[in-house]
Amino acid sequence: MSTPVPGYDCTMDELMVVTFSRAMSNDTRAFNGAVSFIPVSGYLLARRTHAPELVWAASSIAIDADPDEIGDSTLSDSLWGGASMLSNSTFDFWAFAQGARYNTFAFRGAQMDAYGNVNNTVIGPYDAPKVRLPGGGGMADLGAMIPRIYLWSSTHDPRTFVDQLDFRSGMGWGDGGDHRERLGMPGGPQLCITNLCVFDFEPVSKRMRLASLHPEVTAEQVQEATGFEVLMPDGEIPVTAQPTAEELHILRTEVDPTSARLREF
Amino acid sequence: MSKITTLEQAAASIPNGSTVAIGGMSMNSAPMALVRELVRQEKKDLELVAIVSGMAVDWLVAGGCVRRVVSGLVSFEGLGLAPNFRAAVQSGQVAIEEYSEHLLVCRLQAQSHDLPFIPTKAGLGTDVLGLHAASGTVREEKDGPTGEHYVACTRLPVDVALVHAHEADQRGNTRVNPKLMWLDNEVVNAAGRTVVSVERTAETATFAAEPERTTYPGFMIDAVAPAPWGAYPCSCFPDYSHDSEFFMAYSQAARDRETFTQFFQERVVGPETWEDFLAVNSVTAGVST
Repeated sequence: MSTPVPGYDCTMDELMVVTFSRAMSNDTRAFNGAVSFIPVSGYLLARRTHAPELVWAASSIAIDADPDEIGDSTLSDSLWGGASMLSNSTFDFWAFAQGARYNTFAFRGAQMDAYGNVNNTVIGPYDAPKVRLPGGGGMADLGAMIPRIYLWSSTHDPRTFVDQLDFRSGMGWGDGGDHRERLGMPGGPQLCITNLCVFDFEPVSKRMRLASLHPEVTAEQVQEATGFEVLMPDGEIPVTAQPTAEELHILRTEVDPTSARLREF
Repeated sequence: MSKITTLEQAAASIPNGSTVAIGGMSMNSAPMALVRELVRQEKKDLELVAIVSGMAVDWLVAGGCVRRVVSGLVSFEGLGLAPNFRAAVQSGQVAIEEYSEHLLVCRLQAQSHDLPFIPTKAGLGTDVLGLHAASGTVREEKDGPTGEHYVACTRLPVDVALVHAHEADQRGNTRVNPKLMWLDNEVVNAAGRTVVSVERTAETATFAAEPERTTYPGFMIDAVAPAPWGAYPCSCFPDYSHDSEFFMAYSQAARDRETFTQFFQERVVGPETWEDFLAVNSVTAGVST
């Protein structure tokens, strides 16, 4: 369930989409995988506001798609309307991804750790799982290839944000420090946007650090909802910026008129 | 000799214990009519190679046909987990050999190109590689001259690939309209044999008239099984999209074993022909366009 954001004329899903959108820029070249309603809405909103030249390949296939609405799958042809090219997974996508022509990807996991690594494979021991999840799909690939990784979660609680993943399906900053660099990987996770706050990553340790708190959320609440120690920034922690009336109007009427993004809540 | 056959004969040509690669991606373009026929014929001990899959794997697991799933992801996407796959892996009834999408693409390429391995950055730093430390099917290595890290993906042998397409002729020339978008070419190229189900057959002259639009040459295709709506309840872009209602009803039924057994019998395996199956599921437009 998405809830109203105190003092803002919007709900949590909308605040998360707008925050995601503002993190995008004119040189963003993004694509999306499964169950990615918040990022897809964010790419489309950014393109309609401050980043008109942003490139987005719907389902990693349909380049420059401009769908009338977002359906019940973000990995389906229902998102492909208005595309300038339907690309091919083998010949086009993996070359664009591994060569980092695509520079932006967002993933979420059933579990995420302090370094932005994600688990979407199993809960519990691998050989005798309590819950068998779908599997990492392209996470293990794209985590290694894409320089600007964004994470998000609509369920900020200690079950999701854990100290130890049960399985590392996708690489964020790995073990932290220069781990990615040592493996020859470009960039790494930039932000993690949740229903309580926004994290960035402390530049040396590469651990999650509070970047902003959503209205009426305290740093203590974030720490209580997080299974690892949350790093605090120097000075006062800002409140996540308020969406403009224009952003909300475009999101509600043009980008996602059927509120498909609520499937993540 | 014409390669056009029936779904029944195509499925009958696949022995128990085969390694079967399933085409399609998530909710898209899976060869569901062929998969249903494998379940109807009560195949056993199949090893499935399904890069990013969902309903196809779940039907075969529900039918008790599967020994092992080689995959990167099995789910119903925004519509939830694949219930029978999930339960069978949790109980240990079905083994899983876990990779990621690109690790599997590279293993299939090593197979089709007949090379000892294909390198990729995929999987570096994750727990996926550790699962294969003993078998060495994918292994982290370092390039001597440059010191760069990569993962060496070894050959993945496949007995037969099942893919769905729009049109094929009696020689096996096959067309995906408007062009191939998913990874089906990787399984076709790697497999010892390929069976394609098609929305409709086409005259050979139509391939000669537009050779630039042919997806697979006839010599790569061993059998062509006509099956209108052959990817249902998955999509076959641009002819039809996936049927969310079927996915939701299936998941709902799977919450209770008895209810699911009845659902699976009535809506999936019970109908004798593919046409009967479409009728039972109210896919009433008749012939896809």
